[in-house]
Amino acid sequence: MAETVQQENKRCIYFFLYDRSKVQEEGDLTRAGICYFYPEDTPMDQQELLCGQLAGVSRCVSELSSAPVRLLRLRKTKYAVHMRDNFLWALSCVADIPDVSVCAFLDQLIDLFCFYNGPVRQSYQLHSQEELAVCLARYLSHLQGGSTELHHIFSCLRTIDSTNIDPLLLLKAALILQACQRCPLVLAGCILYRGRVVSTQMPPELTVKVMVHETETFSQDNRLRMNGVTSGASPTSSTVTTNVFLTPSELHLLRYPPVDNRSSDTPQPLTRPRKSRLLSRTLSDTLISDQDPSEFPHLSYQTLPSSPRSSLSDESCFSPSPSLFSTPLRTSLKSQSEKDTPPESQEHSLPNGTLPNRGTGGSLGGSSSPVAKNEVNYQEGGRLGSESNISSVLAEKDKNADGNSENRQVNSLSNGVPSEQDEFSLRLNDRLAKLELTDDSAGSGDDRQERVEEHLAKESKEARREGVTERSECMSVRSECVSVRSECETSLESMFLYQHRVRGLVLALLVEPSFNTHPTAKDEVYHSSLASLNGLEAHLRTTSPGAPGAQGPYTFAHYDCIQNTLTTNVCGRSAGPQDRPFVKATALLHSHFSYTDTLQEAIIRNASCAVYGTRTAAQETYFLQQGTSSRNSGIPNGQDSAFSLPSKARHRLLKHGVNLL
Amino acid sequence: MSSKSSLLKVILLGDGGVGKSSLMNRYVTNKFDSHLFHTIGVEFLNKDLEVDGRTVTLQIWDTAGQERFRSLRTPFYRGSDCCLLTFSVDDGQSFRNLANWKKEFVYYADVKDPDTFPFVVLGNKVDVSERQVSREEALQWCRDNGDYAYYETSAKDATNVSAAFEEAVRRVLATEDRAEHLIPTDTVNLHRKPRTGAPCC
Repeated sequence: MAETVQQENKRCIYFFLYDRSKVQEEGDLTRAGICYFYPEDTPMDQQELLCGQLAGVSRCVSELSSAPVRLLRLRKTKYAVHMRDNFLWALSCVADIPDVSVCAFLDQLIDLFCFYNGPVRQSYQLHSQEELAVCLARYLSHLQGGSTELHHIFSCLRTIDSTNIDPLLLLKAALILQACQRCPLVLAGCILYRGRVVSTQMPPELTVKVMVHETETFSQDNRLRMNGVTSGASPTSSTVTTNVFLTPSELHLLRYPPVDNRSSDTPQPLTRPRKSRLLSRTLSDTLISDQDPSEFPHLSYQTLPSSPRSSLSDESCFSPSPSLFSTPLRTSLKSQSEKDTPPESQEHSLPNGTLPNRGTGGSLGGSSSPVAKNEVNYQEGGRLGSESNISSVLAEKDKNADGNSENRQVNSLSNGVPSEQDEFSLRLNDRLAKLELTDDSAGSGDDRQERVEEHLAKESKEARREGVTERSECMSVRSECVSVRSECETSLESMFLYQHRVRGLVLALLVEPSFNTHPTAKDEVYHSSLASLNGLEAHLRTTSPGAPGAQGPYTFAHYDCIQNTLTTNVCGRSAGPQDRPFVKATALLHSHFSYTDTLQEAIIRNASCAVYGTRTAAQETYFLQQGTSSRNSGIPNGQDSAFSLPSKARHRLLKHGVNLL
Repeated sequence: MSSKSSLLKVILLGDGGVGKSSLMNRYVTNKFDSHLFHTIGVEFLNKDLEVDGRTVTLQIWDTAGQERFRSLRTPFYRGSDCCLLTFSVDDGQSFRNLANWKKEFVYYADVKDPDTFPFVVLGNKVDVSERQVSREEALQWCRDNGDYAYYETSAKDATNVSAAFEEAVRRVLATEDRAEHLIPTDTVNLHRKPRTGAPCC
C-alpha cells in the first residue's frame, strides 16, 4: 500500500493515530498507544518520539486553552490535530499547503475511517491493528492520489469533465439514480466513472466517502473479489454490499431531503444544507417532513459554520466537546473561566471559533477576523517565494515559520459588509492605518516592515491572550472553540452501501440495513438499473476525451462550495511550470478566505503576474490574466492593470458558466 | 464460427413510445413497468438462450426513439447482427416511420448488403383494442421490403415476445450459415503443407 502513496502528489509526511488511554502511567510504553503510524517503515524510536511529544503538547495546549487543538505549527511542518475520545489523530503536511486544506485532509481521513469502520474505539476492539492499518493506508492513498494540486487545496470532489460529454448523459445518470430511489429501502445514490463523480444525490461529504470504496472494489475486482457479499452477474459487472456507518445528521438528510426550491437564484448556503445540483429526487418522491431540517438538533454542519467549506470549523459531528474528554484540571480551568467571564465574552474572544450563533450573529461572528488575518499572514509568509515583491497593505515578515523573509501583497479590495466587523477589527484596522501613516514618515523598507510586524504581533498576542491561546517560541497553536454537542460517535448508525460495477462505471447506493435481507429489494434495484448502466458505460467509454480547447490567455479556478466541485482550465495532474504561480496564489487566497469571513475580493501578485480572487458564500473564483505587462510594481495606484482584473474575470468566465456579476 | 456467433447483437429501433424498452425488459427480466422513463441514448442487456440446439448470448440494444437523441444512438448501430424494427399497432405514424428507421440503420450501421441483412418487424401493443395498423398492412410492408419476419407482440402481457427474439436469432444464424458456406470459395489456406521433399542442399 505504501508504494501507491509514494506518488509525486504526496502531501502527507506523517500521520498517526494514538490511543492516549493506553499510556497513562509512568511505566507505560508510548508504543502501546500507537495504533497506526505512517510511513509504516518509520523506526519505532522515531514514532514514539513524535507521538509522545505531540500527544503531550496537544494535551497541554488544549488544557490551557480549554479548547481542542486543531493545528500545531513546527518550524518546517504543520500538524493537523484532532482529539476525540482519548484518540489523537495527527497529520503533517508540507508547509505550503494551506491550514484549511491540511485540516480538511485530516477530517476527511477520520470521516472515512468512521464511515467504513464505525466508532474508533469499537473498531479497534473488533478488528486487529493490522487490519485497520490496511484500511488507513488505503484511505491515505485514496485521499492523496489521482487529482490535481488544485483539487487538494479545496479538498473537493473529483468530477467527470462535463465539457466533453453530452449533457444528456448526465441526465441519464440522474434518471438512473431516480429509478433506483423508487426501489424499496434505497435512500440515495451516486454514479461514478473511473473514480469521478458523474451524478450524485448525496451531499458532497458523503459522496467523498463512497468514492473510496469505489476505487477499493475496483482494485479488488482486478485481483479477486473477496470482500463483502458478492454476487457476480457477469464477468464485467458485479454487486457488492458493504456495511457503513452514518452520522444521525447524514442519515436524516437522506431520509428527509429538503425540498429544493429552484425558483430562487440566490444561494442560501447558510440555511440551506449543502447539496448537489444533480440531486435529482423528484418532488413526488420526497417525503415531506414537518420538521424543518435546520431545526434538527444534529444538523450541525448546515447551520453552524459561517463559511461552509472551512474545515477549520468543526463540522464533524463527533468533535470532542471540551467537557467530554476533560480532565479534572481542565474542568476546573474551564469552570473558573466561566466564572470569571460571562459566557458571551468568552466565546467572543476565542479566535476562529465556530460559534453556534455565528451564522446569524453578525458582529459576534466577525470577531475573529483580524486575528485570523494576522495568523494567515504569519503562516503564509514566503509563500510566493522569490516572486514576491515588497509593497504591502497587509504584509509581514515571517521569521518563525521558515525563516523566509519574503513578503507578498494582499490588496484587500473590499472588506465585506462593515456591519460584520466588530470593534476589535475596526480598532486594529485603525491602528494599522495610523501605523502606516507614521511609518511613512519615519522610515522605509525593512525597518517599517519590522515595525508593522511588531505591532501586529503585539495585537495578535493580545488577542491570543484574550483567547486563552498560547503561542510558544517556535510553535504556534491555533485552537478553536467547539460548541458543546452531544457525543454522537456512539450513535453512528449502521447502514449498507450497495455497489454495482459495470467496468469503469459504478452505481453506489446507500440503503437501509434491511436491504440485504429483503426478499426482492436487491433484485429490483439490480434489474431496474442494469440496462441503463450498461448503456451509460458504453456511452462514456466511447466519449473521446476531446482535445483541450483553446485555453485562452487566462487561467482560472472556480470552486463551488455547495457542491464541493472545481471547474478550472488548469489541466493535467500536476500543474505545468506556467501554472505554478497561479496554484500557489490560489492556495494562499483560499487560505485567506477561509480565515476571514468578511473578505470577499483580493488581488495577490508578484512582479510578473496578479491573481484575482473573489468569493461569495457559495463559490470562490480565482483568475489570472496572462501576458499583462509587468510594469506595475511598488505602491498600488489607480492605473494599475491589476484593478481591471475583476471586470476581465467577469467577462472571460461567463463562457465557462461562471457568473460573477 | 462458434466463437463468432456466441454473442449476437440485436438492436431495437422505432419511434419513441412504441415499447422498445418494455419489450427488452419483458424478454430478459420478464417484468413490465408502465412508468418507464424515456430511454436516453442506448441501453443493453444480455441474455443467454438456446435456439435449435445452439447456445448463444443475445445482446439486446435498446435505443432512444426520440429524434433529439439521434446523435447519441447512431454510433451504436455498428456491429449489429440483426435489427428489430418496432412500431406500435395503435400508432399509424410509428408504422409509417419504419422505412425511415430502416434507412437510418442501414446508413449508420454501414450495412454492406441491405437486401440480405436480417430485419425483423415487431408490431407491439396488440393488447390495445384500438388498432390503427392492421396485420395485413404490416405483412404487406414486410413482403415489399424484403420478406421480413413479422411478429405481433405485447410487452404488457408477454405475447409473442420470446418468439420474436428467437426468430431474430434464427435469422442471424441462418445468414451466418449462408456466409460460412461462401467462405471456402474465395479464401486462401494459410496452413503450410508439411514438407515432404528433402532439403535443397
